[in-house]
Amino acid sequence: MIRLRTLFWLLLVSATGFAMFGVKYQVQALEDELGRINRAAAAEEHEIRVLDAEWAYLTRPQTLETMNRQFLSLVPASTKQLRTTVADIPMRPPPPASPPPTVEAATMVAAAEPAPIPSAAPSPLDQASAAAPLPNNPAAEPPQTQSALRAMPALLEKPPATPQPAKASTAKAAARPAPTHRAKSLDDLISQIMASR
Amino acid sequence: MTIAVQYFDDNPCRPRHFKPPPCAPVIPDGPARKALDACRRRLFLTSVVFACVFATVALRVVEIVLLEGGTAQSHMPRFHPPAPSTPARADIVDRNGKLLATTLDTPSVYANPKQILDAEDATRKLVKVFPNLDRAELYAKLTSGKSFVWIKRRLTPREQYEVNQLGIPGVQFQHEERRVYPDGALTGHVVGYTGIDNSGFAGIERGLDNTLKNHQDPLRLSVDLRMQYVLREELQRVIDDFTAKGAAGLIMDVNTGEILSIVSLPDFDPNRPDAPDPEHPDIPIADRMFDRITLGDYELGSIFKIFTVAMALDSGTSTLTSTYDASHDIQIGRFTIGDYHGKHRVLSVPEILMYSSNIGAAKMAVAAGGQRQREFLARLGLLKAPKIEIAEVAKPHFPAKWREVNVMTIAFGHGISVTPIGFASAAAALVNGGVLRPATLVKLPAGYFPEGRQVISAKTSEQMRRLMRLVVEHGTGTMAAAPGYVVGGKTGTADKVSGRHYVERKLLSSFVAAFPINDPKYLTLIMVDEPHPNKQSHGYATGGWTAAPATSRVIQRIAPLLGVEAVDETSLEIRQALAVESLQGKRIENY
Repeated sequence: MIRLRTLFWLLLVSATGFAMFGVKYQVQALEDELGRINRAAAAEEHEIRVLDAEWAYLTRPQTLETMNRQFLSLVPASTKQLRTTVADIPMRPPPPASPPPTVEAATMVAAAEPAPIPSAAPSPLDQASAAAPLPNNPAAEPPQTQSALRAMPALLEKPPATPQPAKASTAKAAARPAPTHRAKSLDDLISQIMASR
Repeated sequence: MTIAVQYFDDNPCRPRHFKPPPCAPVIPDGPARKALDACRRRLFLTSVVFACVFATVALRVVEIVLLEGGTAQSHMPRFHPPAPSTPARADIVDRNGKLLATTLDTPSVYANPKQILDAEDATRKLVKVFPNLDRAELYAKLTSGKSFVWIKRRLTPREQYEVNQLGIPGVQFQHEERRVYPDGALTGHVVGYTGIDNSGFAGIERGLDNTLKNHQDPLRLSVDLRMQYVLREELQRVIDDFTAKGAAGLIMDVNTGEILSIVSLPDFDPNRPDAPDPEHPDIPIADRMFDRITLGDYELGSIFKIFTVAMALDSGTSTLTSTYDASHDIQIGRFTIGDYHGKHRVLSVPEILMYSSNIGAAKMAVAAGGQRQREFLARLGLLKAPKIEIAEVAKPHFPAKWREVNVMTIAFGHGISVTPIGFASAAAALVNGGVLRPATLVKLPAGYFPEGRQVISAKTSEQMRRLMRLVVEHGTGTMAAAPGYVVGGKTGTADKVSGRHYVERKLLSSFVAAFPINDPKYLTLIMVDEPHPNKQSHGYATGGWTAAPATSRVIQRIAPLLGVEAVDETSLEIRQALAVESLQGKRIENY
């Protein structure tokens, strides 16, 4: 009887001992992990700070301007290119009898220049109503749009606000075949940048 | 229990000296035997247990030493590399959240030469990572026998990685915090810079040092980086075009007092405040550190006339139809007050502002009286240092005794020098309906208008808007016109003071503008320091030829960013809103 009791207590003691050590090691392991995760988080945070700073550095207006000059040749929009009210925007023309316009041409126009391409017309501000018969349906007439696009540099030199660097760049753009070098979309731009590396 | 002692020499025939060979005692069965057996059993069990334990330890040792057991790392004494601490100083961002200043934890590498085993090898490896280091010098350092020598301060993460890869014993890192300004000189004067221990030395870093120290969240300035860039670029262009000594400008929201851009050229890179400018190494550092917008106070010249006219109109001493004889120069004491390009006739109040007549402005101020003039300028906050978050702010200078000659010269902006920032706040009050709000560099919540003080009546403010439009339409400021954005403004050309004299050929040309002037939202102020005439300007270096075209370019570039709609300036609605009644039906002579 006594042996049984002793055995019971012994078992209990050893079980408690094991349990205690088990828990202790578990806690230690957890603490280690916590410390590791905390350090990793802090390191990650630090990394993020560095990357933030780097991003800010790489997207400085100076850098963007240089990249723009190299790849996009965009210039500040002049007031002539702006349509101020919804009423100024002409209605979509009736669907033509010819086959539907290719999607390619439409996206190209949209990405290349936010301004209305046929702004060769005088000021749209005072000629809003007269603008309707103008060829402002670029999607319907891809060939004409292409030529208008090519003529863009020449158009853009007109506004008085064209800054000097842009002038230089438009001259450069005119010197080289514009349609092949000008990026048409963001993906295109990125691939060009990658290729230039 | 007693155990009977039994001997084995109980053989009676044994030789006398016979000793039986030693052998285990034969224990007869009985309680003693039982006890002994139990002992043996226990002993055996214990030895088995110990053998197991030692075998385990031995196996483990074999595993760790010979087989490089996988978890050996986790059983090493715990060593924690110090975690990079959270930065003690808040970031600074622009109004769109673009980073202007941040704190980075940068490692510096040092060596303990006493621990370095092979200095020659270490030198060779380190020079490979840092090609800029001098090999002989580094070798001398590493063999110096000291216990601490810096190898290189402030490494990039890549350099740190490479040094780590070298694994040279005795070479270690120490982390240091460093303030980084990604935009460099672009925001140099606004943001300022910090010293070695990261306490603010200039700009916002100094002015809001405590805020930055005690907060974690980024401090959002009212400055817009894009506008900052546009303004700086255009100012640099003016400097280049007119070989000017410097230029400064600001863009302000007239309804809240928020400053969207503040540029002073020449400027400095806050990352290296004392390094010379690679492009202009001859410009002294003190000149580049000088913030013309807040720390400079200038006799601004004719742009001050807007205050004279506003004062006269608001106090009722003049109306838009009042006329003053500007056909002859005024002689007072040793001074002669004349017009730059005089019309030599009687001018009405709108014409005085339009043609920037000094004589007319002086007479208008005399009619109102010095007392009133002084009170008015004090009301606009021009007689005390402006309040702004930047610490470097100059006090205005004005005569202690307000004599008649002072009244006359102050009327056209001489004999009183104010900071451009103070001037801009006051000018904003003239056009925004008459409410003076302090200029601020910290972004205000959207839709929040800080409490202001009504300094002139809304009616006077409206009249001022019409008059300022007239200046751009027909007067001295025609080159500031930006098609579609209805600019109104005033030109200024001041002779600079040198010692006690005005210097004829040293000018301070300026232009203050608000747009769209029929419902002003933004104000720009551009100043050019000592411009020289060029061919395109036909020998002029006045505000109308230098600062006004720059204003036009700046407005055309920033208005789309600010969401200001371009309108048709020739529309009846706008012409009616900006017409000056007293000139209706008359032919307006262009300047």
